[in-house]
Amino acid sequence: MVAFARLRQGVLLPRLVAGVVLLACWQGLAMSGLLFRDVIPTVPALAAGLVRVFASPDFYANLAVTSAELAAALVAGGVAGLVVGLGLGASPFASGAFEPWLNYLGPTPKIILFPLLILMFGVGLESKMAMGAVSCFFPIAISVAAGVRGVDAVLLRVGRSFRARWDQMLVKIYLPAMVAPLLNGARLGFGVALIGVLLAETKLAKQGLGFMVMDAYQRFDMPRMYGLLMVSVGLAAGLNLLLERLAGRAGLRNIRRERS
Amino acid sequence: MILPPRAAPWFGVGCILLALVLLQGAIEAGWVDVYIVPLPSDMLAALPRLVADENVVGRFAITFGETLASGLLALVVGVALGMALQHWPRLLLAFESWFALLAAAPLAMAYPLFLVLFGRGPLTIIVIAFASALAPVVLKTVEGLSTVRPVLMDVGRSLRLSRGQAFRMILLPAALPQIFVGLRLALVFALINVVGVEFLINLGGLGQLINELAERFDLPGTWAAIGLVVGVSICFFLLLEGGERWLRSRG
Amino acid sequence: MTAAPLLSVERLTKRFGPAAGGLVAVDAMSFAVGQGEFVSIIGPSGCGKSTLFSMLGGLVAPTGGRIEVEGALVTGPHPAVGMVFQEESCFPWRSVQDNVAFPLELAGIPRGERQDRAQLFIDMVGLRGFERRLPSELSGGMRQRVCIARTLAARPRLLLMDEPFAALDEQTRLLLGDKVLQIQQQLNQTTLLITHSITEAVQLSDRILVMTYRPGRLKRVVEVNLPRPRTPDVVTSPAFGATVAALWRDLREEASRGMAAER
Repeated sequence: MVAFARLRQGVLLPRLVAGVVLLACWQGLAMSGLLFRDVIPTVPALAAGLVRVFASPDFYANLAVTSAELAAALVAGGVAGLVVGLGLGASPFASGAFEPWLNYLGPTPKIILFPLLILMFGVGLESKMAMGAVSCFFPIAISVAAGVRGVDAVLLRVGRSFRARWDQMLVKIYLPAMVAPLLNGARLGFGVALIGVLLAETKLAKQGLGFMVMDAYQRFDMPRMYGLLMVSVGLAAGLNLLLERLAGRAGLRNIRRERS
Repeated sequence: MILPPRAAPWFGVGCILLALVLLQGAIEAGWVDVYIVPLPSDMLAALPRLVADENVVGRFAITFGETLASGLLALVVGVALGMALQHWPRLLLAFESWFALLAAAPLAMAYPLFLVLFGRGPLTIIVIAFASALAPVVLKTVEGLSTVRPVLMDVGRSLRLSRGQAFRMILLPAALPQIFVGLRLALVFALINVVGVEFLINLGGLGQLINELAERFDLPGTWAAIGLVVGVSICFFLLLEGGERWLRSRG
Repeated sequence: MTAAPLLSVERLTKRFGPAAGGLVAVDAMSFAVGQGEFVSIIGPSGCGKSTLFSMLGGLVAPTGGRIEVEGALVTGPHPAVGMVFQEESCFPWRSVQDNVAFPLELAGIPRGERQDRAQLFIDMVGLRGFERRLPSELSGGMRQRVCIARTLAARPRLLLMDEPFAALDEQTRLLLGDKVLQIQQQLNQTTLLITHSITEAVQLSDRILVMTYRPGRLKRVVEVNLPRPRTPDVVTSPAFGATVAALWRDLREEASRGMAAER
């Protein structure tokens, strides 16, 4: 425990130093007048902006809209990704036929599909949900497929030797064995879905955090804009951290050779 | 239906072509709204038109150039940072989570700020793409360096190599595969962000083309341009994969 | 044997690849196992033992010949056949109790009854008190015991085991071997054990089938006429040693052929 405390101290100091240095540089930049006024607000102004964001009533309504879009995107993209991933993972032939396409389409920027989604779903929330869903479908499908293939083959033989039905194999063997890759896929999915939704909101929307960011920019209310950006980044990072912790714990449970 | 595994990729291509043919039929029959999904034949016809009228080659050069610039910059800075962090474990412990945070952050969302700071030009795009690609490269480099088998370092120590020698002759070559993965990651992230930001701010190469065509309601053109970008990405990644494999086969 | 055999294998063959020039793993093996018998199959590495195991368990289809369990042709995993695999096969996310109860769960048996029945076998393998533990908290030998208990919980008429103790150290092997003997006697369990350890085969079996190196054929059948129970006295008796020596002569020939072929 002493070592741990010392470790934490050791970590704290560099972080504090780095944080202070960064803030000082920022403040210096803001006060130097080198850049267009207000584009780099002073640190106190930033803080005030952040507080104002949390104090404004419309923030929470817009946060709810973004969250709803994110949730719907994850459900749609997640379920589709799960089903496709399971299919691809279970069948080497299907994997050879279609997984290369997933791998090549995965890293292409999905935001360019947004105009098409607007045509299909209109300018309301649905197009943003679709954007998020399309964004997260690919990494989830790829993770799930890899997860299925990663299930220890002997466990599958056990299931078959006991003549388990396909649904029993899925629920009692595949899914529990895949918990860590599933959570990692979910983490990745959350991240890209959120980015997809936010970017779509900045492009064309009347509600949501992305819309608020653009709105603040257009009114040149920089501190507010920075505040909203900080909240968005915080949201993304917070979700990512949470899922990473969950995935880590699930992975530990599946570690087999602890003693021997 | 039992087909040999080697036929699988062709089967996949075949399925996609079949789907396109069916789509063509469905649109012509009126089951699918042609104002939402134009005829695949029209999309195909739009390609030569785009190449002729819209300076696709020039645009491709712009996009590719920006990707290369930001990607290589991210690689160089990222690997350097990664090596520094690996070298001073205390710093690694302190800042690894910061980079993880950066990697997950939707930086492109702040593009208006970057626009104001860096002007409405390629510099903005390069900066955003660089910033987005940096964190993943750092994390991947650290991961690669830390997975070098300790026994290899022991060999170096038993031969009494200096730290610099050990680094050059053992650590770096052993970590090279991971660094190439980092290169691929840098270019992938760079490309995504370059095209994405070009689209969002309507500036630059291929990304801008898509945005323009969409605003002109040139539907077949928009679909064709998207297909073009996807095709370019595919070629890009195939090239990267091939390069990686070639380098690996050389030992 | 006057009673009909539990397992009947006729000219069982498995070929990989084309008819001409492919790899023949198992070549026209024929044998039978009667009710309550403990039969071991020994052979050098690479002789096709595991392929034989997979075919008997219905996981791999033979290219020729037939397998019958209780008179019924085997075309897939047979409900009367239980398999214990060589690799560790405990479900890492399930406790000992939930692992052992797995086949009962598949059969739709309600929770309370499942747990009671599983407890029987947990006790039998000597893991009482470990019901709630996860496999990661157990040693390798204990994990294999869980797998054996799990297979037994399905009450198979025929127990197939493929080198279940291969990954364990010598002492654990001997102890688990004793345990298996105890269980076999308690349940009068018909068992077919695949192993590369001669001493293990002689210690546990009534009959030993010796396989040749690839293609795997039945070279010899040896009756083990040592008294049961196979106490330490029996294991250290001259008769035991003689049986082992005789088997080693056979096996050595095959093992040398194997090593020469692999080179």
